[in-house]
Amino acid sequence: MSKQVFSVVTANDLLGGHVVYLSPLGTWVPEVRDAELIPDIARARLRLEEVTDDASVVGVYLAEMLPGPDGPRPMHFREVFRAQGPSAHARVPEVRHV
Amino acid sequence: MYEYDAFDDAFVRARVAQFRNQVERRLSGALTEEEFRPLRLMNGLYLQLHAYMLRVAIPYGTLTGRQMRQLAHIADQWDRGYGHFTTRQNIQFNWPKLKDVPDMLEALADVGMHAIQTSGNCVRNVTADHFAGAAADEIEDPRPWAELLRQWSTDHPEFQFLPRKFKIAITGSPRDRAVTRAHDIGLRMLNEDGAAGFEVSIGGGLGRTPMVGKVLRPFLPVADLLPYVEAILSTYNLLGRRDNKYKARIKIAVHEHGIEEIRRLVEARFSELRPLFGGGDQVRLAEIRTHFAPPVFESRSDDGFEAARRSDPVFRAWTDTNLSPHRQPGHAIVTVSLKAHGAVPGDVTSAQMRLLAGLAERYSHDDLRISHEQNVILPHVHKADLPALHAALLGAGLGTANVGLISDIIACPGMDYCALATARSIPVAQAIAQRFDALKLEHEIGPLKLKISGCINACGHHHVGHIGILGLDRAGVENYQITLGGDGTERTVLGERAGPGFSAEELLPALERLIAAYLEHREGPEETFLMAFRRLGAAPFKAALYPREARNAA
Amino acid sequence: MRHDPGGARIAELNARYRHHAGIRVLEHALTDPLVGRIALVSSFGAESVVLLHMLSVIDRSVPVLFVDTQMLFPETLAYQSEVAAALGLMDLRTIRARPEALAARDSEGLLHRQDPDACCALRKAEPLERALAGFDGWITGRKRFQAQTRAGIEFFESDGPRIKVNPLAHWAAQDVQDYMINNRLPKHPLVARGYLSIGCAPCTSPVTAGEDARAGRWRGREKQECGIHFINGKPVRGPVPQQEEAEEKKVNVIVTEAGFAPDNHAGGFVPLEEWRGQGALDLPADCDPASLLGRLDGPGVIRIVFGSFTDGRGFTVARRLRMMGYAGQLRASGPLIADQFPMALRSGFNEVEISPAQAERQPWAQWRASLDRPAAYQERLRASCEAQ
Repeated sequence: MSKQVFSVVTANDLLGGHVVYLSPLGTWVPEVRDAELIPDIARARLRLEEVTDDASVVGVYLAEMLPGPDGPRPMHFREVFRAQGPSAHARVPEVRHV
Repeated sequence: MYEYDAFDDAFVRARVAQFRNQVERRLSGALTEEEFRPLRLMNGLYLQLHAYMLRVAIPYGTLTGRQMRQLAHIADQWDRGYGHFTTRQNIQFNWPKLKDVPDMLEALADVGMHAIQTSGNCVRNVTADHFAGAAADEIEDPRPWAELLRQWSTDHPEFQFLPRKFKIAITGSPRDRAVTRAHDIGLRMLNEDGAAGFEVSIGGGLGRTPMVGKVLRPFLPVADLLPYVEAILSTYNLLGRRDNKYKARIKIAVHEHGIEEIRRLVEARFSELRPLFGGGDQVRLAEIRTHFAPPVFESRSDDGFEAARRSDPVFRAWTDTNLSPHRQPGHAIVTVSLKAHGAVPGDVTSAQMRLLAGLAERYSHDDLRISHEQNVILPHVHKADLPALHAALLGAGLGTANVGLISDIIACPGMDYCALATARSIPVAQAIAQRFDALKLEHEIGPLKLKISGCINACGHHHVGHIGILGLDRAGVENYQITLGGDGTERTVLGERAGPGFSAEELLPALERLIAAYLEHREGPEETFLMAFRRLGAAPFKAALYPREARNAA
Repeated sequence: MRHDPGGARIAELNARYRHHAGIRVLEHALTDPLVGRIALVSSFGAESVVLLHMLSVIDRSVPVLFVDTQMLFPETLAYQSEVAAALGLMDLRTIRARPEALAARDSEGLLHRQDPDACCALRKAEPLERALAGFDGWITGRKRFQAQTRAGIEFFESDGPRIKVNPLAHWAAQDVQDYMINNRLPKHPLVARGYLSIGCAPCTSPVTAGEDARAGRWRGREKQECGIHFINGKPVRGPVPQQEEAEEKKVNVIVTEAGFAPDNHAGGFVPLEEWRGQGALDLPADCDPASLLGRLDGPGVIRIVFGSFTDGRGFTVARRLRMMGYAGQLRASGPLIADQFPMALRSGFNEVEISPAQAERQPWAQWRASLDRPAAYQERLRASCEAQ
């Protein structure tokens, strides 16, 4: 088991429900490229523990990622979809109301 | 159509106020997420992959034009301008914000709708035959019973925290269009010596352990329905397993204890409960029935219908696939396909909802139905109005002539939306529909039910598809298993797994081989895929799916 | 249905399996109807992989409960993931203390320094007890050789309302090593560093040659067991039961339609199996109410214990007791939430007993507000014809 596992901490925003990632500054950001990529699992677990009781998010967990040219890159296809949004409705713009 | 009385209205509005209060307490910290979760689920609010999702009940699949317009309004005001009809006669909004949900529920209450018990371990939305009250083969309209069950199960104090979710389906016709045998309780209306009753089956369900329901009571007098259903729930609440959520459904209790033991417990419980129903339920039923009085049908000539069929091949093709026999002469049941080739099965835009609302008001006695097959039904259309109706539908992308064909696919939202999914379903459905449309083969292939689930929970009913597709995660790659020979009608058969799964790229060519084998082996166009499968067995179809293995074996 | 976990059954099980190998005992424990619904409890410590491997060979879908005290070594967490994946465990449940309990009782994470027993109770024993609520029994990897306090353990033991199964009770240290080598099982990374029994990081140290394997646990203290293991139904928190500290226990809160009140019920409640037909009775939510038929004049007050707020059996039990004619006091006890108050009352309860912490987080105003709703459908449907 020498394979290095990189992780990011991810969750859904309590109010909006959208996907968020923990940034190196400890803030929650919507884009996976801005997430903190944590190179060892023990430290990732610690980061996870620190934010488990954060009331602004729901369902915190660690997602495995790899380093990429534009920041963390999801390994599993589920995380790819979480990062990108649904394939069928990527083209539907969000309706905004003033 | 059922309209809320003062009691119903006060009830749903109190529930909205209660949920508003629960959201506030969640935000203030008085409720933990762990505590809030079952409460939000009880009000139809999930947290999915990308966002919250609000599931709204369409009890027994029936809507008025006004209600459909309100759904369009909700989609525009608080979501992204579309909704998704599910396989259980619900509509789902995929992008609500937690703080907006109480307002959305309030808007639903304004038109006599709600999202109560569309999730959670309670009695879910009661589903019914989508042709109820219109079908030529019906004994009695089942919807008054479904409404009675809705009222009885709503906020029932004993049954809000069951071992697992509980689904009831009801049909008033011997032809089962409601998949009753795949429900926790399936109710099929019968007529014995002039008296109406229900055949009550329990323990059906798809999911990871698919089972066909078993008959608990072959004939239950209709007036005993509520105490009998209550006896089943009461027995299940104590007997159902709570140690493993995958073994918590009533089907497992039936499997582990045997139908005889369950029957003994239920009948004992029923004899205690029966005297507690003093007739109030029957008074309510009689009152509910007045809401479902059949419309006053016109009798006028339908000459225009035949003339249009002769002169317009597009119209003729549509009438061949999208109409069903109505009990009233001169009328037809119209199924509006939400499966335009390449569209997302079950999705409707707010503009389409408004159009359908207007068409229902104009041509279908203000009556719309949502089918578990994810289509919209206009149940009472005079044949003379069909050409105009068809033209209006075509203009909105709703005129596809494919109901019952290979592109009329049931698909769950899959991993594009669902947090439980293990693979995507929507792009698979889109690709299949587009491919067979391009081949111009689907009318040649004829009736074929293709159903896709994006995980083992089987929301896409793949077990009862003539061809079923199950999306799985195999070591981090989407993989699709094919089942063959399933049937969701009154004969209910679970499909058999054809063999190893296919990658997303391999799946479409495999399906083409499968269909080619059917076309080659069938005795003629009148032998459907399912009939051919029953006659020939799985072997020729498996050989088509796995040509290399077949060669090696030869 | 719940089985009587009485001494006779335990004795019968021990006699029946006396000459069986560990894996046979495990196999039978998973299927023997005398045992019932069962889970395996594992710390993913130094030797845990043996029992987990046996389980994975027999049935990978059996629930495995892993108590994450949130004080564990990072190595244990990594090892837990590795083992669970390697063995393909299908129903691994990670058990943790509730965040609000941690916030209330150990906000600094230092409780283990002043009171390791309280820390074990908070982070291990209580969460596990909650997690075990739906089970009739549990499987542990305890072995006689591990410590003097464990020298007398048997394959089957009574543990309060549950049965405890120790398939490896008679194994020697060498058996464990052989099994791990023969089956090429991964080792806990800390074993190589001298840890032979692995618990939480603050309270575990390596052991030296000649010591008990568990000598490194709570070193320098009297404590030898964490409190999740019981002897004669009592938690063991030392080699010999210490004199009971006069624990200052906060009184539970009773909620009725009139408001909050302290629990002034005196004399306690007697569990069903010890009940002699008279006096206050404690009923688990999974009892069969029919067993009380003809004896309902006796109790005067019955308390139904909810293991968790999502376990709704108690509502049906209450309603059935009322239908059987029980007219006395009926109390719901457990982690119910304010929103369930109307359900409890409408199912036949008179009152709900909650913890002081729960009462603080969900004050009376929230319970009262939950009652503020219109009549229920059921009353209307169950009315007589004349009333309509």
